[in-house]
Amino acid sequence: MSTLADTIHIENVVASSDLGQELALDQLSTDLPGAEYNPEDFPGVVYRLQEPKSATLIFRSGKVVCTGAKSVDDVHEALGIVFGDIRELGIDVTSNPPIEVQNIVSSASLEQSLNLNAIAIGLGLEQIEYEPEQFPGLVYRLDDPDVVVLLFGSGKLVITGGQNPDEAEQALAHVQDRLTELGLLD
Amino acid sequence: MSDSTIRTYSSDQRQTDNDETVSTPDEDVLTCPECGGQVIDDEEHGESVCVDCGLVVEENGIDRGPEWRAFNSTEKDEKSRVGAPTTNMMHDKGLSTNIGWQDKDAYGNSLSSNQRQKMQRLRKWNERFRTRNSKERNLKQALGEIERMASALGLPKEVRETASVIYRRALSEDLLPGRSIEGVATAALYASARQLSTPRSIDEVANVSRIDEMEFKRTYRYIVRELSLEVAPADPAQYVPRFASDLDLPDEVERRSRELISNAQADGVTSGKSPVGLAAAAIYASSLLTNHKVTQSEVSEVTDVSEVTIRNRYQELLEATEAAA
Repeated sequence: MSTLADTIHIENVVASSDLGQELALDQLSTDLPGAEYNPEDFPGVVYRLQEPKSATLIFRSGKVVCTGAKSVDDVHEALGIVFGDIRELGIDVTSNPPIEVQNIVSSASLEQSLNLNAIAIGLGLEQIEYEPEQFPGLVYRLDDPDVVVLLFGSGKLVITGGQNPDEAEQALAHVQDRLTELGLLD
Repeated sequence: MSDSTIRTYSSDQRQTDNDETVSTPDEDVLTCPECGGQVIDDEEHGESVCVDCGLVVEENGIDRGPEWRAFNSTEKDEKSRVGAPTTNMMHDKGLSTNIGWQDKDAYGNSLSSNQRQKMQRLRKWNERFRTRNSKERNLKQALGEIERMASALGLPKEVRETASVIYRRALSEDLLPGRSIEGVATAALYASARQLSTPRSIDEVANVSRIDEMEFKRTYRYIVRELSLEVAPADPAQYVPRFASDLDLPDEVERRSRELISNAQADGVTSGKSPVGLAAAAIYASSLLTNHKVTQSEVSEVTDVSEVTIRNRYQELLEATEAAA
């Protein structure tokens, strides 16, 4: 792998899980220290952790979403802590609810400025979306891996939509290959 | 034989010297039955002739053009026996009958009140028959909307025609359910203006549209993706002439603006920048450089770009030009 893979940095991991039972959110929010619950703004309880830094959204159906973590391990750790806290309140949580990673957002860089106009035309206008009037980035939808890459004029990119940290690397390599093929990278 | 058109390719061994040989893949291949040579149309004599052996393959060909000649447009109007060409800008392609709104007969005399009432009723029924189902009514409304917005934006007929075709495609591919007619019509118009290199900014289009900007942008992205429209990114230089004339600036400014923009593009500082913003800044910068000063707020007013954006892009344009010099 090229050295550019080192520029990949995971910014956010979102995972979901299910406690398997309905919850009384009013009660839960008062019992969990630091939990926020404003049903008028948002229908779930927001429970923030400092270590690892993340926010967990707990819904009435018992579904749980953890967001803001910086790695897949952090997500598991955070949800483990949340489940522990809920268990302490006397709510019977099954020993290990399956945790499913839904989305990983990574940033990376090609370390050189890009001519998005040329890229837009070179990559074929079907796969990409480049509307500088609406958004400064070029949206490149890959089929394999199934992720969306946002390319910016500065050469920085955002890779999102993957479920696996490796997909960011594959996507970066793919983008790099395609751009080199087109002669748009030095 | 000078106006002869070549109909076919000869068989492969003999297309060596003729550089006027043009292949027309969509036409049926016709070769000489005697020698296999290429057959050409001799329009003067109405014959198809083999260029090699001179065999007349077909004679007494039909000339499908008009049998009359006209030397000016009045004569043409008098002699022509056909109506306007079909157009996608009308829901029935302009093929239906229209009953005029003036209550006049063929001689220009006013109708009697009895006849007038009759025409009124006929007009009503004609209107009802013209649009039979909901899709046609939908199309009629949308095309009316495209027409209205295009004329408010001063877009030429080709753009309206293309917008109409895009809308028809959206309708036939069932993209309409869940989106408003006005929204898709606006998006179709914006896309066609972009495709035909006469772009209007999103703000301008949104201003004349009946839907809000967010919905318009969303619909636009949706139909571009679903119809694979291939809209190339707008070139800032395409906005320049219009803005310059809105500000009453001379050609010199326009020329200078194009220069600034192409310098910036060569320097690669335009990536991800709004083309409208770049055009506005180029106009402002070149108005200063050529002593036809306009203020930032004047430019901002005409272009719908904020003064802050103009100032920022202005700096970048000048730096790019310095770098190029």
